[in-house]
Amino acid sequence: MTGRLRGLLKGAIGPHANDSRYLLDVHRRDLPGQDTMARYEESEEVDLCIVGAGAGGSVLAQRLARRGWRVVIIEAGPFWHPDEDWVSDEAGSHELYWTQERVIGGEDPIELGKNNSGRGVGGSMVHYAGYCPRFHPSDFETETRDGVGADWPISYRDLKAHYEEVERELPVAGQDWPWGDPHRYPFSPHPIGGAAAVLWQGAIKQGIEMRVGPVGIVNGTFGNRPHCIYRGFCLQGCKVNAKASPYVTHLPDALAHGVEIRADSMAVRVEINDANGQATGVTYVRDGERTERQQRARMVAIAGYSIETPRLLLHSTSTRFPNGLGNNEDQVGRYVMVQGATQAAGRFPDELRMYKGPPPEVSSEQFYETDESRGFARGFSIQTVSPQPIGWAEHVLADGHWGGALREYMRDYNHWSTIGVLNELLPDPENRVTLAQDSDPYGMPVARFDYSRSENDKANMAYSKEILNGILHAAGAQDILTIQRYAHLVGGARMGRTPEDSVVNSDHRIWGVPNVFVADGSVCPTQGSANPALTIMALASRLAERLASRNTG
Amino acid sequence: MAAERDLRTPRHLPNLRPGRQPPHPSWLPRQRVGTTPQMIGRYPDYDVLASADTWDPATREVVTERLREHGPLRFFTTEEEPTLRAFCDVATAQDSDPRIPVAEMVDDKLAAGRLDGYRYAGMPRDPDAWRLVLRGLDETARARYGRAGFAACDPQAREAIIGALAEGLLSGGAWDELDVSRAFSVCMRAILEAFYSHPWAWNEIGYGGPAYPLGYMRLGPLAVREPRERRGASAEDPVRAVEELQP
Repeated sequence: MTGRLRGLLKGAIGPHANDSRYLLDVHRRDLPGQDTMARYEESEEVDLCIVGAGAGGSVLAQRLARRGWRVVIIEAGPFWHPDEDWVSDEAGSHELYWTQERVIGGEDPIELGKNNSGRGVGGSMVHYAGYCPRFHPSDFETETRDGVGADWPISYRDLKAHYEEVERELPVAGQDWPWGDPHRYPFSPHPIGGAAAVLWQGAIKQGIEMRVGPVGIVNGTFGNRPHCIYRGFCLQGCKVNAKASPYVTHLPDALAHGVEIRADSMAVRVEINDANGQATGVTYVRDGERTERQQRARMVAIAGYSIETPRLLLHSTSTRFPNGLGNNEDQVGRYVMVQGATQAAGRFPDELRMYKGPPPEVSSEQFYETDESRGFARGFSIQTVSPQPIGWAEHVLADGHWGGALREYMRDYNHWSTIGVLNELLPDPENRVTLAQDSDPYGMPVARFDYSRSENDKANMAYSKEILNGILHAAGAQDILTIQRYAHLVGGARMGRTPEDSVVNSDHRIWGVPNVFVADGSVCPTQGSANPALTIMALASRLAERLASRNTG
Repeated sequence: MAAERDLRTPRHLPNLRPGRQPPHPSWLPRQRVGTTPQMIGRYPDYDVLASADTWDPATREVVTERLREHGPLRFFTTEEEPTLRAFCDVATAQDSDPRIPVAEMVDDKLAAGRLDGYRYAGMPRDPDAWRLVLRGLDETARARYGRAGFAACDPQAREAIIGALAEGLLSGGAWDELDVSRAFSVCMRAILEAFYSHPWAWNEIGYGGPAYPLGYMRLGPLAVREPRERRGASAEDPVRAVEELQP
């Protein structure tokens, strides 16, 4: 379809092979099909057993179920019943996050939990903000272009069609996009709130281009999914069904095509037949039980994200893989990446009430690629955000205020507007997930994640903080509060061209194992400064196409 | 203080004041409807709970649960209780009733075993970090101020100790078993989550609160307040402001 036609048909074109939007109920938020879901015997060898019902696992399941594959997803967290389980409340959303014990270390320890880790059917996208940018073509070849990071064994062209299809499925709303590979979005941009408008004016004065979106939030109606009501709780699970997550975008269609989701089930090992090196299935423990269960499968795909996927691989030891599945070259758990996510808030004379509207509104990728005059490689993106009160309290605390000073800034909440960056921090083999000494209630060692920044990372973060300050000053901010933080996760089982420097090949298949694949953000060798959700879904969509056509290497 | 009541100016903000200290809260209007902590706030005619009947039942239950009377502490001991209460009071500047029951809410979180999903290497688990911090506060109060414990110190001494805790400047005894500034962040995470999850704090800051299924329509810039929201206190005559509210 030509770009011009797509522009004219904005909001009118749906995805080709995904009926999720029609399967949803207008008045109830439960996942349709849960009660009539297919059930497979554990002794039956299904075609594919997936670990994790998040962005990667759900798309992979939906695609292959449509091709007639018998698919079982093992998910550690619960099936949600959003009408009862999700609330318009920050503290009340604790159950959405992966809050089991994990250890963080290194020079720059990364806070996990609500910051970047989901648990339950739908995964982290249940509580992501909603930004859905694509990676840029440059992200796939940073080593060649910039002498840093790594080249992917695939290119942007391999993902482009999948980006477009996933954008239709979510659907993504935003202005025509001038950066990276310029493209249009299937839905028009949302109106923006006064808080974001103030920041945008500041950016314009600084000569910084910004655009509305891109967000995976319905603007208009989309099948049985309603328009966003701008209540501002994207990070607490969308009770409206306007924000995209696999719970509404892929799992309804997956269940309608015979996928079984086995919730409250923690995968503890991938079983390997020592005779032929093939995986035979996944061992898991159901909540409230002590005995291990095993699902037999012809193929296994792991989609537990950058902490749990390496943890499961490292814990899956066998004669052929004494140090963990796919870890004979000591690559599992390495090159885990986060993005610098400094946020700066400005104070303005008028009430802005930033809690209204989706937290993601306007963004810029003008600083995305390397500019040698800046003195560091690669770059960052800029995005407006809008913390709710507890998030705002953490922001104020980070600027050094507590007690009476904190209360004073908190009372001033309605006068503030917040803007953040996502810095592309570079992959480093020492930024890794390992197994800690302590064990969880399943008897499985908990994950330890060590993280330290490089000099390039620090220079990138320092530079981008000045850009934020420039925008706020130009916007007329009367006071500025800053919090240095991190966001997102990718890497830990990266794809590459040789087993010596990667865990999986370009088809996500673990080196040396014929039938185990990694289907989540762990496979990314670089991260760009784009939020990873859309790319994780596009990668899973491509993997499904490869598996279905039996072209996998 | 009249100038500080013009909320278009930022003169009340700590970063713009000597010593980064806020003005005494006496500049704030008394709350006229609903409840705020210490009955001060910037939105004297706003009560978020007045729209509770528009919230979905699940949200209403979670939020109003925070208003119930709390029973005795379950995680912290009777010996730890005065120090815990004093610490929570100083950290959130609650020097009189009505208080948001921060100590009880933190106790509830720890008793229920709710974790945040990460623990710094070299730090004890969160429940143990809390006990060490309370012990350390008492030890510092004895060593520096000759008091029986942190709770027995005068307000200035308490603030000085918490200031040193925030800066990571305490050492000896229990403090040597912790990374002190990380321990402060662990405690403040729980304290702030408790305080700003309470609807009384939402009244104080004029936060619109839950809005499902109602939603928000006035996103700005021309209109920023829903019919159920109220403007902030300003330099206008409060008597006239009240009269304007009457139908």
